Amino acid sequence: MPAIVLDSDKIQDSVKRIMEYGGTGVLKCVQCGACSAVCPGVKAGFPVLCRLLIKKLLEGQFEELVEETSTWGCQACNRCTEVCPQGVRPQEVVFAYRRYQASELAFSSSATTSQMNLYGTGHAVFTEAGPLREKVGLPAKAPTSAYDEKAQKEIQTLLDNSPMGELGLF
Amino acid sequence: MAKVGVYVCHCGSNIAGVIDVEAVRAFAEGLPDVAVARKDLFMCSDSGQEMIKQDIRDGLVDKVVVAACTPRTHEPIFRGALSAGGLNKYLFEMANIRDQDSWVHAQDPEGATRKAKLLVASAVGKAARLRPLEEKYVDVTKAALVIGGGVAGIFSALELAKMGFKTYLVEKEPSIGGVMAMLDKTFPTNDCSACILTPVMVEAGNHPNIELLTYSEVEDVEGYIGNFNVKVRRKQAYVDWARCTGCGACAEKCPSKTPDEFNMGLSNRKAAYIHFPQAVPKKAVVDMAHCKSCGGREIGTEPKISEKTGKPLLAPCEKACPADAINRTLQWDPAGEIKEIKVGTIVVATGFQVMDKGWFKEMAPDNKNVITALQMERLISATGPTGGKLLRPSDNEKPHTLTFVSCVGSRDEKHHTYCSRVCCMYMIKQARLIKEKYPDVNIYMHFIDVRSPGKDYDEYYTGARKMGINILRGKVGGLEVLPGDNLRVLAYDLDACAPVEYESDLVILATAMELPPTAKKLAQTLGLQFCGSNFFKELHPKLGPVETSTEGIFLAGCCQGPKDIPDTVSQAKGAAAAAAVPLCQGRVKIEPIISEVHTEKCSGCGICVPLCPYNAISLKPYAEKPRAIIDITQCKGCGVCTAACPSAAIVLHGYEEDQIFAQIAALTA
Amino acid sequence: MEKYGLYLGCNIPFKAPDIEQSFRKVFPALGIEVTDLPGAGCCPAWGTAPSFDLTTWCAVSGRNITIAEDLDVPIMTGCNSCFGVLSEAKHFIEADASRKKAVNEKLGLINRQFKGTSDIYHISHVLYEKVGLDKIKESLKYDLSGLKVAVQPGCHILWPSDVYHVKEKNSFFPTQLKELVEALGASAPHYSRLEACCGMGGMRSTDVEKSLELFKTKLLSIKEEIDPDCIVTTCSSCFLQFDMSQKTLKERGEIDFEIPVFYYTQLLALAMGFDPANVAALCVTPRDAIIAEIQSEARKVREQEPLMTLAPSIDR
Repeated sequence: MPAIVLDSDKIQDSVKRIMEYGGTGVLKCVQCGACSAVCPGVKAGFPVLCRLLIKKLLEGQFEELVEETSTWGCQACNRCTEVCPQGVRPQEVVFAYRRYQASELAFSSSATTSQMNLYGTGHAVFTEAGPLREKVGLPAKAPTSAYDEKAQKEIQTLLDNSPMGELGLF
Repeated sequence: MAKVGVYVCHCGSNIAGVIDVEAVRAFAEGLPDVAVARKDLFMCSDSGQEMIKQDIRDGLVDKVVVAACTPRTHEPIFRGALSAGGLNKYLFEMANIRDQDSWVHAQDPEGATRKAKLLVASAVGKAARLRPLEEKYVDVTKAALVIGGGVAGIFSALELAKMGFKTYLVEKEPSIGGVMAMLDKTFPTNDCSACILTPVMVEAGNHPNIELLTYSEVEDVEGYIGNFNVKVRRKQAYVDWARCTGCGACAEKCPSKTPDEFNMGLSNRKAAYIHFPQAVPKKAVVDMAHCKSCGGREIGTEPKISEKTGKPLLAPCEKACPADAINRTLQWDPAGEIKEIKVGTIVVATGFQVMDKGWFKEMAPDNKNVITALQMERLISATGPTGGKLLRPSDNEKPHTLTFVSCVGSRDEKHHTYCSRVCCMYMIKQARLIKEKYPDVNIYMHFIDVRSPGKDYDEYYTGARKMGINILRGKVGGLEVLPGDNLRVLAYDLDACAPVEYESDLVILATAMELPPTAKKLAQTLGLQFCGSNFFKELHPKLGPVETSTEGIFLAGCCQGPKDIPDTVSQAKGAAAAAAVPLCQGRVKIEPIISEVHTEKCSGCGICVPLCPYNAISLKPYAEKPRAIIDITQCKGCGVCTAACPSAAIVLHGYEEDQIFAQIAALTA
Repeated sequence: MEKYGLYLGCNIPFKAPDIEQSFRKVFPALGIEVTDLPGAGCCPAWGTAPSFDLTTWCAVSGRNITIAEDLDVPIMTGCNSCFGVLSEAKHFIEADASRKKAVNEKLGLINRQFKGTSDIYHISHVLYEKVGLDKIKESLKYDLSGLKVAVQPGCHILWPSDVYHVKEKNSFFPTQLKELVEALGASAPHYSRLEACCGMGGMRSTDVEKSLELFKTKLLSIKEEIDPDCIVTTCSSCFLQFDMSQKTLKERGEIDFEIPVFYYTQLLALAMGFDPANVAALCVTPRDAIIAEIQSEARKVREQEPLMTLAPSIDR
């Protein structure tokens, strides 16, 4: 493993950016590792989550991690937040980093489908379920945005006027 | 006209790094009443003080202003210089241009310099109007009170007693000994805790100058340094201690069981019981909350008479007592008795408690095989519930895999942010003792980091590694409960950057040390303050570690903050030395900065009487009319009465009206 | 009658509409009026707006919440992820005045405004706290005594507990779902990985093998420690993972068993006598046998009022 070259400008920049993306507790971290002890993502084999992600960010490795896939293994279960003794809220740091990765379009193609679904129907997960619904005695069309043009327009307006809209996904 | 000398201090770069000291000096020189204005690198140095003394001797100045740091630490030094120079030491005023200026306005040197000038002008305005004050003295009661009979209280009491002072040692439990008496062995020497403590307990119990007041609590304290009047409530033991020989026959026969506090609830004791085998004093008590009043033997009632034998039917405890110390027919007062004592100084050594495991929800607190470290001490102690055999609570089987979890409630913003200081070391001690006795037991210890700063401590820790004890860095995130009451440990190895999972038979939590909730009441009684960590606050974190903000009251041991036994004993002996000083001097000085009533001006309205927070004012007849009078030993110089008096009859010396108005005028000029 | 806005999310209406039908059957029968939230969309799922921009997340969640605010009803949702996303978004909006302003500026574009007047509940909170165990017991037509159930509360209903206003006594050892199952007469013994994650969600879309491995660890803990008759959850994501992935593991030869899976209100609806063709019709892991066992003659509760008085028809 090559040595990490510590650079105070890079460290300050890394901390500033992760906080701007929503990881506001990052400087409270004392690296105790309790978060990673209970993280299902870490257990499943996504090592750069919770404490290790925070450590790397605190060492200024902000841009270096952009292609790291571990962050997308986070379940947002917040068990880390519940056990953290310092109020870091590690899940928020993970999601803050994801937001940077997303801004660089560093996410899997499967995730692109969810965004397009959300934009098109208002639902990240959508399949035409009419027959299934009728089978169990429900109307074919659920009373959601999926069949409601006005609702879809509203959601599209919100997404168009957001950083997501600027990424050109829709 | 006054001749004020102004001395501006650089305090190295503390002040001069921000404030233009020469500008302040030059400004002072131009102020009315100022005769000389000088500056020095350190005014508190010998040469700085000499400058003041020489100006006094030369007749240049008759009032002194030092613009420097804080009067909290340095006022006595400069007052001393005035005395040495031949001036009344109360003709002195300090302008705090460091703590209240250069330190807080470091980013604004110009503003800070402006503020320093104002502060100096204000001090000069007051100094020019100061009047000499005379100190008075009162005699002290040559006795001391030590509250708390743990290792800290025992050593404080012994030191005071050995210096020849009558010492009362108050302990809420039936025996002295405290938490140290519950410990198995002690780090880093593995001395048996009871073996080293018991002789000291016996010495305290036998010392002619020590009066043990166990099973007792301090109820009320009045008075001031040198003369405290203390009410101690001795709880009702329902046993005549003058007769009780500590044989334990009553406990043997008592049928009523309740969790044993001394064994941290791991076993039961009887309602009639002796605190622990080495108790001092070794006396029985009947815990009425758990007593069944066998055979209808309610306290204070005549016994029934047996139809068969014609003899009275007694409860098992009173029947068993060979010394006739238990007589349930007597009218024992459930409130116990109040003992009033007079002492000159007080040492508070009330100790700590460890947090209950119930607080830690991720740690399977309902599982019997999750225990606190203090429970572990009892589990491996020869006088504990298993006779020192390592057996786990759920099934009394020997555990094969043990887990130690550090920082449970310490270093945790949800509980206590501080480090409890002793957990790393006592966990290593417990692990080593177990590994020595049972080499086949697997031990895993989880630390955020190992804290071992102390004489021979780190060697003790590295020795544990050499013994094959597994030490992992990383906080345990939780426990899962497996069938058979085993536990799955969810941990993380910081060095390997990987989660760790394994099955454990017994998990020991190093729960945080904290003040018990009863400390709040004692703090109110004694006027003690709490620090940020919610322990009792010492006067100064470095220079006043055993003193408190209430004169004559001192702190020792863990009630001031978590500490190990060597530090506790050191502080206990230090507190005793400090508490002995006023007793040795035989008299205490009364600060002259207190209030005084001009009786001729007093209308006797009495407004001041209930306002005084120190109960120092009373109405006494003067020329056949009621007039306010202030007890100089009680007055603390707070000034409430002075401000409230509608007749302006009360003066607070050192803060007189013309002095304060001169300060205001200078500050608002 | 207490009234709640039924927030459907995505999985329930499009992948498991029998769960939706079970809500629509059991709640009115238990005295809770259910109203639709017309035009509600995705919460939005963790992998969408929350992973792109905090304010956009809050605005999309906020839009859903305003639909309930307009109807003056609290929200109840049957999906743990929706519960977590909506609750956290509400918390983010309310905890920071500048964020609230930014969110309302966005919502202003679609003529909406977040007020914060609608609380967010999980359907299991409504059952546990508002309906209560006694009322559930009274409503049963079939007694599930002797049935052994493994419960799966899921993650997002537990943590972060400081954001949720209905809390478990101990979020690491939750008991509400266990008590709800026991109210049906069944037993719900503890197993060690009770609060472990099932592996559904973002993890599954990122790496299905890792997700399956995590799922298998949990499933084996259930099988080996308590060997239950069925698994019951109150999370629609957990439901899908348990239902779909057992088959995958079995086909690969990694397990040699299959345990039927129910969403809690499906089991409740069956015990209340509703038709499985409506309330428990769609699954990959077979459950016909256990449904037949649940609604067997031998399990009928005696002296029960006729079902119709308990459950007025709400056919739509």
